[in-house]
Amino acid sequence: MNMTVAQSAAVSSARPMQPAGAQREMPNAQETAHEKISVRNLRFYYGDTLALKGISLPLYERKVTAFIGPSGCGKSTLLRILNRMYDLYPGQRADGEVLLDGENILSPKQDKNLLRSRVGMVFQKPTPFPMTIYDNIAFGVRLYEKLSKAEMDERVESSLRRAALWNEVKDKLGASGQSLSGGQQQRLCIARTVAIKPEVILLDEPCSALDPISTAKIEELIDELKAEYTIAIVTHNMQQAARCSEYTAFMYLGELVEFDETSRIFTTPSDQRTQDYITGRFG
Amino acid sequence: MAEHIVSAYDAELAALRNRVVEMGGIAEKMLDDATRALVRRDAELAQSVINTDARLDNLQREIEENAILTIARRQPMAVDLREIISAIRVAGDVERIGDLAKNIAKRAVAISGQMQPTRIVVGVEHMSDLVQEQLKDVLDGFTQQNVNVAIDVWKRDGEIDALYTSLFRELLTYMMEDPRNIGFCTHMLFCAKNIERIGDHTTNIAETIYYLVTGSALVSERPKNDDTSFARVGES
Amino acid sequence: MSNANPFYGRRKSRSNLMMGLCMAASLFGLAWLVMILAALLWNGVSGLSLDVFTQNTPPPGSAGGLLNAIVGSLIMTALGVVIGTPIGILAGTYMAEYGAHGKLSLVVRFINDILLSAPSIVIGLFVYEVMVVRMGHFSGFAGAVALSIIVIPVVVRTTEDMLNLVPNQLREAASALGMPRHLVIRRIAYRAARAGMVTGVLLAIARVSGETAPLLFTALNNQFGGANLNGPMASLPVVIFQFALSPYKDWQQLAWTGALIITLSVLTLSILARVIASRSRQ
Repeated sequence: MNMTVAQSAAVSSARPMQPAGAQREMPNAQETAHEKISVRNLRFYYGDTLALKGISLPLYERKVTAFIGPSGCGKSTLLRILNRMYDLYPGQRADGEVLLDGENILSPKQDKNLLRSRVGMVFQKPTPFPMTIYDNIAFGVRLYEKLSKAEMDERVESSLRRAALWNEVKDKLGASGQSLSGGQQQRLCIARTVAIKPEVILLDEPCSALDPISTAKIEELIDELKAEYTIAIVTHNMQQAARCSEYTAFMYLGELVEFDETSRIFTTPSDQRTQDYITGRFG
Repeated sequence: MAEHIVSAYDAELAALRNRVVEMGGIAEKMLDDATRALVRRDAELAQSVINTDARLDNLQREIEENAILTIARRQPMAVDLREIISAIRVAGDVERIGDLAKNIAKRAVAISGQMQPTRIVVGVEHMSDLVQEQLKDVLDGFTQQNVNVAIDVWKRDGEIDALYTSLFRELLTYMMEDPRNIGFCTHMLFCAKNIERIGDHTTNIAETIYYLVTGSALVSERPKNDDTSFARVGES
Repeated sequence: MSNANPFYGRRKSRSNLMMGLCMAASLFGLAWLVMILAALLWNGVSGLSLDVFTQNTPPPGSAGGLLNAIVGSLIMTALGVVIGTPIGILAGTYMAEYGAHGKLSLVVRFINDILLSAPSIVIGLFVYEVMVVRMGHFSGFAGAVALSIIVIPVVVRTTEDMLNLVPNQLREAASALGMPRHLVIRRIAYRAARAGMVTGVLLAIARVSGETAPLLFTALNNQFGGANLNGPMASLPVVIFQFALSPYKDWQQLAWTGALIITLSVLTLSILARVIASRSRQ
């Protein structure tokens, strides 16, 4: 593995299912990758049902980590733990550790709203708020910062530019966010997330409702965003995972089957289940 | 291995594999025939080898086209992707083997009227037998996706190289003994070289099989016994 | 080709028969509505004049209008809505946003459904017992309270339904920005459900503005008008009720006119509610 000794020590527990022989030389080693989030022995319950059965894996800083697996394997559940979205619903609980920069976010002392401002999330279906394009972005910013009108204008513009949407909407910032096309709405949601300057961005099947061109635009965006953010993406589109991510986690039935560099997962996975899944041989 | 959810995908891969195997069979026969044509000075048989090569070229083109189609259609991953890439690579190697066999056949036509020291022909024939065995094994290894067979073939290439080196020296000796032998011996030398090259292609195929099955390259230094490139005329 | 199939032919004729029956039933229902409206217009329009809106209800035999009844109705309806709407919206919000599956919500929802279909005369009697008897006299205020009790379940229902229609993803998206729960509800959920909630309130107004029974026991009537909430207060439905039953021709005429006014205003409110609801759907 292309990690420092300390990191591989931390990760070794993340891949207990890998035989020792699977340790192979890694090309283009990225020695500097820092663990932004460390998931350790994470279990998750929907009521009495155990949905995640002891997951351990790292999310490296400024890298894209893709989560793949069949429906119901727990990949979205895992993502929703990283910003404690599950807290919105009673009867759902997690145990284990999720360290964000070394701090356990599962701790009851963790301020959820503050956490969510550090760990942003974009959803499967575009969710523009019922307000203007401008307010869609300014709204979240106002929760944390007191900006002058000029500063806010600046922030809205830079966020929209960052989301590659500015040129399409600059003349209609007062229009309703819901008047945009699906792909534009999704980029608006990304702009909204970026505007509050998070450190981690979680993407939950962000392209599943979009046409191929909008999908390509989002993927291009992901590629640009990873220069500054740690990104986790759940996707059913394996080609998308292969295209966008540096690391890939394959999950099945609430377990992490394999976590490795994307280049390896999609060419020479170590686990037969991974191989069967990505080659379309499942069930 | 389990079957794909989409059965047409399995059918496409199977068709690709079958074509490669078919190519292998043709190439084997071409080498066998070319060698026999050389030994028996059978110009007619040689001509049939030359004619067969076109079939091999067509098959290779078909394999490439179908492989590209499958890649475009299925976006293969992991072992499927390796299988398709392997098919393309093996088809390339086999096609080259066909070209080399054709070249031997052409030389068989060219020297069909000349005298021949049997010993030399026997040496070339022996070398060809060895390579044919290698080729057969490696093609079986490809059909069965058997890494051990592939590694075995890969290691045995040294014998062929050694044989070639000794044949090289022998031919040089003949040429020096009697300059009238030069024309014939040069042709035989090229034939031997062609057979040695075919041996190299079989090791390429062995490497491809290893990659296909394990996903990594067969890298450690292969024993090289062909040192003719360093041989000097005066020393032999 | 398909005509050759006897099953298809039978199915088709059966389908036509069903369609015919459905249309006949619709027409039958609509016919009565049209007849009612026609009778109202026929009898009511002739009595419509400026006096209706400027003069109080007259004693039998003299000229007059419905001013006190209209003003009383407006005041009590407005007050009823002002009391009932906030309670209804808050209760609906609780059930949709906080205690969706809690025991309390289940109980409240059940009781609310009963209240929604409770005969309004029962509500009138209840307020009579609780307020009129204790205060010792009828009052406009008691009437407004009775109306608000009718408003509450309607508003609770529509608020809860409309908030439930707001996609959960919208709430999650807002929460994902680090927005506290109360802001998510106020700024996002209410905004998304606004049209539906306004429609609910309008429908509640339409419903209570025609109520007679609860007012009979609470506000009673007042020949002389006045906006004193502490005393008996006139209202259109009660006046219509009394005048229509009276033997006097001019009172009966006023009752027709009042009925027309109520019907038209309820119709207007309903249409307005429809327009708002359809506009929000774009």
